[in-house]
Amino acid sequence: MTGRVVVTGLGTVTSIGVGWPEFWANLLAGKSGIGRIESFDPSKYPCHNGGEVKGFDAAAYMRRLRPDSVGRASQFAVAAAWLAVDDAGLDMAALEPHRVGVAVGTTSGEPNLIEKFNDSFVAGRMDDVGAEFLGQYPCHVIAGHVAEELRLGGVNITIPCACAAGNYAVSHAFDALRAGRADVMLAGGSDAFSRITYTGFSRLGAVAPEKVQPFDKNRKGMIPGEGAAMLVLEPMERAMKRGATIYAEVASYGISCDAHHMTAAHPEGDGAARAMTMALREAGLGPGDVSYISAHGTGTPTNERLETIAVKRVFGDGSNAVPISSVKSMLGHTMGAASAIESAVCSLAVYKDRIPPTINFQEPDPECDLDCVPNFSREARVIVAMNNAYAFGGNNSTVLLKKFAA
Amino acid sequence: MNRRVVITGAGLVSALGDRPASLVDALLEGRSAIRPIEGFDTAGLGVRVGAPVAGFVEKTYLGIKNLRPLDRTARLVVAAAKLAADDAGLNIQSLRANEAGLALGTMFCSVRTIAEFDRRAITAGVEYASVMDFANSVINAAAGQTAIWHGLTGLNATICGGLTSGLQALAFGFDMIRLGRSKMLLAGGGEEFCYEALAGFSRAGWLAMPEEFAIPYDRRRNGLILGEGAALLVLEEADAAAARGATALGEIKGQAIGFDPSRGKDPASAANALERCIREALGEAGLEPAAVDLLSASANGSVAADRAEAAAVKAVFNGRTSSLPVMAIKAMLGEPVGAGGALQTIAALEALRAGVAPGIAGLGEMEEGFGLAAAAARREISGANALITSIGLDGNACAVVVGK
Repeated sequence: MTGRVVVTGLGTVTSIGVGWPEFWANLLAGKSGIGRIESFDPSKYPCHNGGEVKGFDAAAYMRRLRPDSVGRASQFAVAAAWLAVDDAGLDMAALEPHRVGVAVGTTSGEPNLIEKFNDSFVAGRMDDVGAEFLGQYPCHVIAGHVAEELRLGGVNITIPCACAAGNYAVSHAFDALRAGRADVMLAGGSDAFSRITYTGFSRLGAVAPEKVQPFDKNRKGMIPGEGAAMLVLEPMERAMKRGATIYAEVASYGISCDAHHMTAAHPEGDGAARAMTMALREAGLGPGDVSYISAHGTGTPTNERLETIAVKRVFGDGSNAVPISSVKSMLGHTMGAASAIESAVCSLAVYKDRIPPTINFQEPDPECDLDCVPNFSREARVIVAMNNAYAFGGNNSTVLLKKFAA
Repeated sequence: MNRRVVITGAGLVSALGDRPASLVDALLEGRSAIRPIEGFDTAGLGVRVGAPVAGFVEKTYLGIKNLRPLDRTARLVVAAAKLAADDAGLNIQSLRANEAGLALGTMFCSVRTIAEFDRRAITAGVEYASVMDFANSVINAAAGQTAIWHGLTGLNATICGGLTSGLQALAFGFDMIRLGRSKMLLAGGGEEFCYEALAGFSRAGWLAMPEEFAIPYDRRRNGLILGEGAALLVLEEADAAAARGATALGEIKGQAIGFDPSRGKDPASAANALERCIREALGEAGLEPAAVDLLSASANGSVAADRAEAAAVKAVFNGRTSSLPVMAIKAMLGEPVGAGGALQTIAALEALRAGVAPGIAGLGEMEEGFGLAAAAARREISGANALITSIGLDGNACAVVVGK
C-alpha cells in the first residue's frame, strides 16, 4: 500500500440541495439558502434569518432507523452517509462491517434535545424528560446512529471541535486509513439549527441581519445554518481496483491551536498560518501550488480581516494570485458541518475544475484584498484545493485535496 | 515509520485523590467515593448517591489566576493538566516550545453550562444570556481553555465516545505521536458531576436505583453510580522523551476503537465489538493474550455492559481468564465518564509498579459464567503489561495496551 487516500463518494444535505449534484449546481449558480427562520420563533432576536434545510424529509433517506427515534443532526448525517455510499457505488454487502469506520465532526451534537430538556425543566415538568434525552442528545450518538443504520462495526469516533470539526473528522479518517485501522471510512460533519447557537451568536453581536457578505467592506456578520456532509474515503489501491470514481486525493492536513482566546482568533493569524504551513509541508507542496482556497469566510468583520493576514503570511506576494471563496456566503455557517461540506466542495472543485463564488459581494475591503471570486463561479484548472476552517477554542485546521493522478 | 509512545507524566483530580499513589492506596483499602448527593435537588430523579470530587479547591492547583471564565469541567481538566505537566517536568514554556497538543475525552464537556446558557435566554430573555457561558457551551470548551491556560499550541482535539471517550482520547493521542503528527501531547479526559447528566442517566435507566448496587460483575448489580473527575497522561515520542531526560512511567503499545452496530441491543454483538478491539490492540502491541498481566476493566455495575465485557475477555483469554488479575476501579470511584479511561490506565500502571492490584470492593458472588479472576480482596501481581478496556452502553468499544 502506498498510503494514498482518495475521496470516492460525496453526500451532502444543505439548504441549497440534498445530494451533491443539486447542491453543486446551485453553488455554482450562486444560490442563497438564507431565509427567515422557521424552526423556532425568531421575533425575540435582533435578526431573523438563518440557513435552514427547509422541507427535509428524513424518511426519504433513512432505511432502518425510525426518523423520530433520532435527532435532526443524526437524520442529516444518516442521509448524507447513504448518499455518499450510494454515490461511491460501494457494495456494503461485500465489505467487512468491522473494517468500515465512521468519523463525525459536530459543534453541538443534538442541541434540540437539551432545548426540549430545558423547556420541560423550566415548565416544572421534568417527568416529560425520558430515556430519549441521554439516548439521543450526547454528540457521539450521531456517529453511532450512522453506524447502526449502515451496520458498521469499525472505528467510530466523534470529534466535536466546534466550527472546524468537519476537517478534523476528514483528517482523522485519513490517518485511520493510512494506519490500516479501516478499509473504508465515512467522514464528515453534521449540525442542526438550534436556538442555543442562534442565541449565542446573537449575544456576540456576530449575526448579520439579512445576508452573508464575506470579504465585502460592509459585511455585517455571519448567519447560522445547518446541514451535513459525509465523504467516502478509501485507500487509492482499493478504489482503483473496484473502478471507483475518484473525486480527489486527500494530500495532507494541518491542525494547530492558538492557545490565545476562546472565541477570538489570534491577531496575527499565528495558528492559522501554522496549520496551512504544516499541511503544505506534509504534501511536499509550496504555496504556489495551491489553485484554490476554500475560506473559513464566516462574514464577520474580524474573520476575513484576520484570515487575510494569515493567508498573506503563508502566500506572501502570491496571495492575490490564488482564488479564495466562501460558500458560507450561500449556506451561512453550518457549524461543525461546514468544513465537511467544504471538503466536498474542494473535492468537486478539483474534479470539475470549477470554483464556486463568494456571493453578495459589492464593495472591496482594502483589508481583505484577496481574489474572493466575487459573485460568479469560475472555470479554472484546480490541481490543489486548500480547505481552511477555524473554531472556538482557538482551533485551526487545513485539509489539502488534490486532483487525482495515479 | 511508527514511533514508540511513552508516558512521561500523569495528572488526576479524582474522587479518591489527586496523585496516582493516593488513588491506588484508596483503591487498595477499598475506600469508596460514593456518597449522598449534596448541592442540588435530585427530587424526582430517584437517585440518592453519586461520586463527585468532593472538596475540589482550584487554587491548590491553579494559584490565584482568574478562574471566572472556566466552568467546572474546564477547572477539573486544567488542574489535571497542571499536575500531569508537573509530573513530566514540564511547564508552560516547555509545553509551548514543544508545540504540545491535547486529546481530551468527554461525553458532555459541560452539559450544565450549555443548559444554563439556554435557560437564562428562555427565562430572562435572549439579552441576558451570558456571552462567557456561550464560549464554554461548545463541546471543545474545556480543551480550548486548557490550551490557553497551559500554552498548548499543537493539535487540540476533543473526542466523544460516550463512556469510552477517555480511552478513545488516549488511543487517538497514541496515534498522533506514533504517526509523527505530534511530539508531545496530553491525553485523557474529564467530566463534571451535574444535575443534567444525572437526570439523563437516571431517565435512561442506567443508574443503580432505587437500591444502589453498583458492584462490577456482581450478580446483584443493578446499574452504575455517576462519578466525576479529570485525568491526563503526557505522551511523548520515546526518543524525544529520552533526549530531554524524562522518566518513562510506561509505554502505550497498541490500541483499537470499534463499534457494536446493534448499539447494545444485541448482547453478542456488543461483546464481539470489544473482543475485536482487544484482539486488534494486542496484535498491534505484538503481544499474545498470555503476555497480559493485568486487566483494568470498564465494569461499572451496568447489567448488560459488564456482561458484554466479561464475555469479550473470556473469548480472548479463553482458558486462562482465571489467571488474569482483574481490577475494576469504578466499584469505588463510580463511573467518572470521560475521565474513566485515563483513570483506569493510571491505576493499572501504578498497580503494576507496586506489584499489587486493588480488589473490587463489595464484590460478593460474581455472575455465573463470567469466570474472571475478580475478587473483593487485593492481590499481588507481577509482570509488565496491562490491558485497559472500555465499553459504552450504546455501542462504543475501545481497548488499549500499556506496559510499564
